[in-house]
Amino acid sequence: MDPRLRRRIERTFADDLRGPINQRLDTTEMRIGAASVTTVMRTLHDDPELDFKVLADLAGVDTGSEMWVVYHLWSAQSPDWLRVIVDGLSRDDPRVPSVTFLWNGADWAEREAYDMFGIIFEGNRDLRRIYMPPDYTSFPLRKDFLLPDDAARSPGEGFRHMEQTHQPAEQLRQPVLRDAKDSLAPDRGPRQ
Amino acid sequence: MSVITRPWGRLTLAGKIILPLLALMIALPVLLLIGWASGLLPWLLGIGGQLVGDNIDVVRFLLAATAILLFTVPTAFVIIFMEMKIIAFINLRVGPNRIGPWGTLSSVVHGLKVLVKEDYTPTGADPIVFTWAPVVTYLAAVLALLVIPFAPGLVGLDMNIGLLYFFAIAGLSVVGLMMGGWASFNKYSLLGALRATAQVISYELPLLLAPVGVIMLAGTLSLNQIVINQSGNFWNWYVFQQPLAFLIFFIAATAEGNRAPFDLTEADSEIVAGFATEYSGMRFGFFFFAEYVSVFILSALTVVLFLGGWNAPLDIAPLLDFLNISINAAAIDPGGLGMGLLFLVALGVPLAILGLTLVVGMLFSHWGWIKSLVVAFILFNVIVGAAIGLWAYMAFEVVAGLFWFTGKTFTLAFVFVWMRGTLPRVRIDQLMGWAWKWLVEIALLNIFLTAGAILIVQELARA
Amino acid sequence: MTATEPRTVRSLDDPDIWVDTPATIFDAVPPYPPRTEREAEFYHLRDGEMLLNLGPQHPSTHGVLRVVLKIDGERVVDLDPVLGYLHRGVEKICENGDWHHAISNCDPLEYVASMFSEAMPVLAAEKLLDLKVPRRAEYIRVLAWELNRIASHSLFMGWLALDLGGLTPILYGFIERDEIVEMLAALTGQRLLFNYLRIGGVNGDLTHDFMSRLGDWMGHAGKQIETTTKLLNENEIFVRRTRGLGVIDRETALRTLCSGPVLRATGVPYDVRRAHPYSVYPELEFDVPTRTEGDSYARYLLHVDEVRESMRIIDQVLHDMPDGPVMAKIPRMIRIPPARAFIAVESPRGQYACYAMSDGSDQPFRLRIHDPSFFNLQVVGLVMPGNLIADTMAIMASLDPVMGGIDK
Repeated sequence: MDPRLRRRIERTFADDLRGPINQRLDTTEMRIGAASVTTVMRTLHDDPELDFKVLADLAGVDTGSEMWVVYHLWSAQSPDWLRVIVDGLSRDDPRVPSVTFLWNGADWAEREAYDMFGIIFEGNRDLRRIYMPPDYTSFPLRKDFLLPDDAARSPGEGFRHMEQTHQPAEQLRQPVLRDAKDSLAPDRGPRQ
Repeated sequence: MSVITRPWGRLTLAGKIILPLLALMIALPVLLLIGWASGLLPWLLGIGGQLVGDNIDVVRFLLAATAILLFTVPTAFVIIFMEMKIIAFINLRVGPNRIGPWGTLSSVVHGLKVLVKEDYTPTGADPIVFTWAPVVTYLAAVLALLVIPFAPGLVGLDMNIGLLYFFAIAGLSVVGLMMGGWASFNKYSLLGALRATAQVISYELPLLLAPVGVIMLAGTLSLNQIVINQSGNFWNWYVFQQPLAFLIFFIAATAEGNRAPFDLTEADSEIVAGFATEYSGMRFGFFFFAEYVSVFILSALTVVLFLGGWNAPLDIAPLLDFLNISINAAAIDPGGLGMGLLFLVALGVPLAILGLTLVVGMLFSHWGWIKSLVVAFILFNVIVGAAIGLWAYMAFEVVAGLFWFTGKTFTLAFVFVWMRGTLPRVRIDQLMGWAWKWLVEIALLNIFLTAGAILIVQELARA
Repeated sequence: MTATEPRTVRSLDDPDIWVDTPATIFDAVPPYPPRTEREAEFYHLRDGEMLLNLGPQHPSTHGVLRVVLKIDGERVVDLDPVLGYLHRGVEKICENGDWHHAISNCDPLEYVASMFSEAMPVLAAEKLLDLKVPRRAEYIRVLAWELNRIASHSLFMGWLALDLGGLTPILYGFIERDEIVEMLAALTGQRLLFNYLRIGGVNGDLTHDFMSRLGDWMGHAGKQIETTTKLLNENEIFVRRTRGLGVIDRETALRTLCSGPVLRATGVPYDVRRAHPYSVYPELEFDVPTRTEGDSYARYLLHVDEVRESMRIIDQVLHDMPDGPVMAKIPRMIRIPPARAFIAVESPRGQYACYAMSDGSDQPFRLRIHDPSFFNLQVVGLVMPGNLIADTMAIMASLDPVMGGIDK
């Protein structure tokens, strides 16, 4: 709980904050909107009084109603962790500016947030999936992702030949097992 | 025909080996009997004998080549076992100790393993080149053994350009590696083959330049003659007259044989198995054996050139003369005993074993009599074997020479294995940098120094 | 109701199902058009360049990591690590279970030193509850953490040497590690994934077996590491291959969010135990070793120094171990009121952090694990170009990645 930090942040980012600053135990938390990410992060990084040179973590969160991106920063000038929550991202098209211009290492963390949640980081030159295969269609850590249904929609199901590991996803959408009501459809082999 | 192929197809691997052997064991005596009875066999033997007598040189050469080919297999087995055990001891482990006493038969098991593994050709590989690559490498290793003198009079082919022939054949192995790497249709293999080629070619130069000093001292390229020149005591060996050349040669030999610390062609933490990635079964077995045979031949060459070949370190002839002892071991003639020999063998052997049992039983009284008997039997065999070995050593020059030659060669092979267990790997650019920037220069320096020393000695001798 | 035709299982020997393999599938170029700028730039090959796949199955990628190297002869021009081969969905699984289940779910994240990965849900839940852990439990935790650190570092030295071709140091490393792991097995019952930390303390007090083994080990602690350093520190070949290799400067390390020995070898003395102390580290006396060269050799030496510091900490902990309970009094089913917490520990690889959100139920709402190897590995892409393929292994091994945490 660092009151100096709280005052500094309230002073510097008066119009970017979207809520009061919470302080609990050893963390100071501030909320901003997606549009202010670039300026806020740059100021936090460059300002000598704030001096948040270390980005400890970049996480995506799906709160059920909206999406957040949560940054944790550490500064040598303050004993607290600073948590910056970018909230208010819609679940249909969450877009946040990327912080890779300040920290290269955020590149993969943003790729992971994209892969798991679908959050698009604008400005990240390499926003592709990092854990899931490149033709995966769902975003696993979302709250509406239920493994059996979503896995069935992903190209992982079905029977893929050993030699054809790069078959495009559309051709393998046929499930292997069919129940009775589908038997009126002509029986196609697994490769069609 | 399918009547025969159907049951043949159902046999296991063991069956496919044993059944033809059994058939041969039954058919061969019958055929021999018929041949002998009809007089066909003695006539054939007569003609054969004449043929051999006329072309004794060719026959001798063929026998030597066959013997060498057969010799390489157990040698490779021994060196493989040595490597596994010695690296294990360096690593504070035990190594193979289940198969055979103290794991000695594990090499044989490895050999059988490569025989029964699935032998496939990868997609896209060039089948002819792929198949023949290991053969070329193996042959290059085996043919080089033809000129190495194992003992006085025991050299495959005593060529007067033996050393030149040796280096020519050693360079042939890289052709096999290149073939293997290219034909595998695999980028890792290609990288491994290119690295191997670069390495072997870079180290050919120091390898060839280092023995030039020895050639100058010996005045001949014939390996047999070089060994004869080093006879006497161990201070006659060329290693004391050419220490620099010995070091350069040893380092270059390590690199030529793709051994640690220069084993980046098969660096299995970088490019999996290098040029041999796509090989399995007996083809890989050929590469595998070729590597260990080349360890043997490089050690053998070092021993021949620098460490005295088949010469013993100390010449005991002057000592024996001084003491007026003359041992004529060849004069021992067991046949002269006549019937006594039969009694000796029939009664003496059991009596000796029982006597040893008593001795062992008294010394180790907590063992039962069966254990003492077994130990005594083994001890008896060891003593008699040692006695016969000693007699053979003193009677026959060949045995003595072979003993020292193999002893020294396997000591150097031990050093190769020791280096593998201890040292990490060198990078390709560092490796080639060392060869071209350092070893070649030092080898040339060595040649100049040797030439200068020879001139000085000649001048002093004339003066 | 029409009956379906029984489906015949086709044998793998059926020639119909084998297709002609076009030779192009052996190339590392993906069969779809590039999705991002960086992918387009990477997979565009200029004259003489070749793509080599240091594939997921490889003897020394420290787990299943696929690195696509763009090489020009033997020189690496660029590289693209492809992750996800060990992705187990740990974060999602944790959301579906209890806070207690999260402990054994998070264990395999850093399987080499799994006390640190267990600390994630445990310390996070304790912070969310603002729970006071008994002092004895804190001391036991520190003891276990430092033992894990020594075990992990001794393995690191072995791996680095193994990737460079030396067959011996890894066995020395395993001897050292085996003693520690057997010790911890006497304490926790497990050799690798300990499942020892609990929310509110640890799972059981120190046992006699553990203490006697610990006493024996302290007698010759680090002896095998000494042997390894004797074998490697002055070894010409080892030094030649690691000195000046993979030099990371301060700015790059900070920008790439490296932490742990990778960052400290570049001269930044950032150690979570000193920067943001947790547990009883403020009361313990130890230094934070730092080096300035930033190359692989410096990272290797730093690991050796850290082992020494860990042994100092273990000495102090054993000396000052208080009595008392080892577990706080908490109910079996814990429902944490809605809160957010962030904790960080110093694992052998760097700053291991966790951001946890609770929503009032007994299941974590979000358990985000930040693994240091994930960020350390990004440095490889910046540092590799210009080096040889053989150095890829040396650099990656010196960063000490553990794929379990990288892929979660």
